[in-house]
Amino acid sequence: MKEFSQLFHDLDEATKTNDRLDHLVQYLTDADPKDSIWVCWFLAGNRIKGAIKTSELRTFASERSGLPQWLLEECHDRVGDLAETISLLIASQGEGRGKVGLAELIGKFIEPMVGMEMEQRRENIFAAWDFLGEKDFLPFHKLLTGGFRMGVSKGNLCKALARVGGVQPAIIAQRLAGNWSPKTLRMEGILNPGVDEDRVCQPFPFCLANPLQEEVENLGSVKDWQMEWKWDGIRAQLINRGGTCMIWSRGDESVGHSFPEVMDAGKWLPGDLCLDGEILAWGQEGMRSFSRLQTRLGRKDPGPTILRREPVRFQAYDILRMEGSDLRSLPMEERRKKLEITLSSLPADFPIGLSPLVEGESWTNLAKLRQESRARGVEGFMLKKKNSSYESGRVKGSWYKWKIDPYLADMVVVSAQLGHGKRSNLYSDYSLAVWNEQGELVTVAKAYSGLSDSEIEKVDRFVRKNITGKFGPVRSVKPSMVFEIAFEGARSSGRHKSGVALRFPRIKRWRTDKKIEEADTLETIRGFTGMTGETKLADGTKVDREGNLLLF
Amino acid sequence: MSNSRDNQILILKKEGLYCPAGDFYVDPRGQVKRALITHAHSDHARSGHENYLCSDSCRPLLQIRVGQKNKIESIPFGTKQTIQDAIVSFHPAGHILGSSQIRIEVRGRVWVVSGDYKPQADRTCEPFELVSCHGFISECTFGLPVYRWQPEEEIYDQINRWWKHNKDSGQGSLVFAYSLGKAQRIVAGLDPSIGLIYAHSAVHPFLEHYQNAGISLPEIKKIEKDTVIANGMVIAPPAVEDSSWMKKFRGVKRGFASGWMAIRGPRRRKNIDRGFVLSDHADWPGLIDVITGTGAEVVKLTHGNGDALSRFLGEKGINASVLNESSFREEELD
Repeated sequence: MKEFSQLFHDLDEATKTNDRLDHLVQYLTDADPKDSIWVCWFLAGNRIKGAIKTSELRTFASERSGLPQWLLEECHDRVGDLAETISLLIASQGEGRGKVGLAELIGKFIEPMVGMEMEQRRENIFAAWDFLGEKDFLPFHKLLTGGFRMGVSKGNLCKALARVGGVQPAIIAQRLAGNWSPKTLRMEGILNPGVDEDRVCQPFPFCLANPLQEEVENLGSVKDWQMEWKWDGIRAQLINRGGTCMIWSRGDESVGHSFPEVMDAGKWLPGDLCLDGEILAWGQEGMRSFSRLQTRLGRKDPGPTILRREPVRFQAYDILRMEGSDLRSLPMEERRKKLEITLSSLPADFPIGLSPLVEGESWTNLAKLRQESRARGVEGFMLKKKNSSYESGRVKGSWYKWKIDPYLADMVVVSAQLGHGKRSNLYSDYSLAVWNEQGELVTVAKAYSGLSDSEIEKVDRFVRKNITGKFGPVRSVKPSMVFEIAFEGARSSGRHKSGVALRFPRIKRWRTDKKIEEADTLETIRGFTGMTGETKLADGTKVDREGNLLLF
Repeated sequence: MSNSRDNQILILKKEGLYCPAGDFYVDPRGQVKRALITHAHSDHARSGHENYLCSDSCRPLLQIRVGQKNKIESIPFGTKQTIQDAIVSFHPAGHILGSSQIRIEVRGRVWVVSGDYKPQADRTCEPFELVSCHGFISECTFGLPVYRWQPEEEIYDQINRWWKHNKDSGQGSLVFAYSLGKAQRIVAGLDPSIGLIYAHSAVHPFLEHYQNAGISLPEIKKIEKDTVIANGMVIAPPAVEDSSWMKKFRGVKRGFASGWMAIRGPRRRKNIDRGFVLSDHADWPGLIDVITGTGAEVVKLTHGNGDALSRFLGEKGINASVLNESSFREEELD
């Protein structure tokens, strides 16, 4: 535990990514593999679920520190992070009596709590507090509350492991993709320089595009680029290996169980293959809106009614493996040819299709076509360089998303919540409202990005002086600040009072020049996004059954 | 104040705390006839008043702060002085050199204005003295139980180890600390065998008065145009952080010493390499010990967010409330 605590504090104190990487490499080189596999698992974004409820943890910490619970909440409000607050309040027992490794600690104090009665959990937590040293508290509480990120992205974890094992980061990434646990995977497995015969049902790390931030003409000749519509669905890889089919989302989640019709269809594809594409809501009439797809998300084993009413389709736009060989290093152009051949003679009602290319003689023509994106229900274009290989993670220079400009509206901040990480004791997450027909402010979005650090501090100061009520972690704030919000669309939602929720809202700027009376209305937002007061789901025929966009 | 018997002892006016019996203010703003000053930090000692009264060891520091022309009188700690119908005396507050709590006695009732204070050991100032009183006006900058200080030796050890580590990797070190009090306190604990110690010019004027007060500090060099810091240690006020002065110190590891560094959020936002939890204010246990130790019947809290502390004291049976002061700030200097 000592080594792990040291790593935690080193990562926490480091301000540069490279320093963090060095610390991590050092740890992974020195630590017991039994412990470091857990560190990999946590840094890959996993957590031990159900060990303790935070409400219980608060109660126990209050008992242990002899402080009333309201005071613990006051402290939490100042500190922002529950794990840190509790660590600061629990009196130190000195060096800590026990010397155990991380794996042993998890096995001794954390895992057994899943399924314990509350009284047992109290004893267990108190025993852990007796056992641990002062420096162990914060990492321990972080493991309990599930917030172990420490400024190390999954990509950097892969880089560190690649350095330790002398293996390519892409291979490491593939080994860390999908579902695994420290019980199913060992460090030797991650760092093994050999080939992964048994992992071919795992997805490849997704190749991600950057937003196009320069003039499209700067990309050079239009002939060097492959253009596709940018779908508004769920990015996924579809893998078939000898009749076993799996679908993986970008979060490395196996999502096949939500889409059994695609899984069934996948089995009929040529063996040992991996497709990259998008899952879309797809009816007889063609593509449907993202909100229709949401009825299928997270629903395991959907029944016949929902399968009939809300069909989906996998639109493939890349092929990463074929007949067992990794195609990722081939140029996009060649992969596209292989993809078209593979998907050439499928039946029309097959729930797997080929995502069409967009032809454009010039950037000017394409720019004009792009204006039709909203009417077609897509988000703009994907631009992929014809000679580009399939990289891991976000790439520069070869894949771009050329999205349509967002909608903009002025909205009023009506409540705020503490942020996370660097912003953990600043009110940096805001609920935003517009005026409805009755002249009330109704919330339509939450946004937490877009302001500069100094603006956030200013807003934080304003919020603290103008709190009008507390609802759990949320503080209602006297309406006074107006933010300009950029967003991609709107859909009906029960989450907000307005019945509308915005997609990808973010703060464009703080309109210090505007009064709240000048903020936009709900009607304007509905109008923007083609929603009428009653017909809230904006559906329409945008694509024909072969996947060709209409209005071409 | 709230207690009717004490009504006339201290009044909160727009200039600050006023004692009608003695016709004086404590740490006032604006322009007043007579100002009693707890210590020489700029948020307590302001220029523009006609007469000043402070502790003897505060006097030279106050002179630097408010200018030579002002009329400053001083008395030793513990000496009682009658000002009209009030008897006042200064008692060490343990905050910085010369810092005082001011005891004010009117018709047998005693109020103490704490100024800024800390009961913990500090080798650069007179140790805190607990003064019994009927009413206590206490600062509460760090009025939450998440703030608990380690002994200064432990922090010195951290700073010296950090400095040594930076030196061993060929880098210089710089610690941001306020030029009066915190800077001297840090320097007092530095190990001069590690390397040379430099200070920003804002720190230097105060140094001789520390020497005069018998506080031993290692040698501190001035930073000249051609100075090369190499593996040395620089002490600089936080205000210069974004100034062109800092250009000289590219690649130097940066630390910040303050009680606010106890929490990761502020520490990370400062964009420094290392935060040292070293404060010149009382921590939570310190506040509780002192406030209960004074035996005060009435406690008024100022300088900080006193809501939590006053509620906590109230639950312990102490009549405490927040003094509604216009100088309320979210983050006190420390």
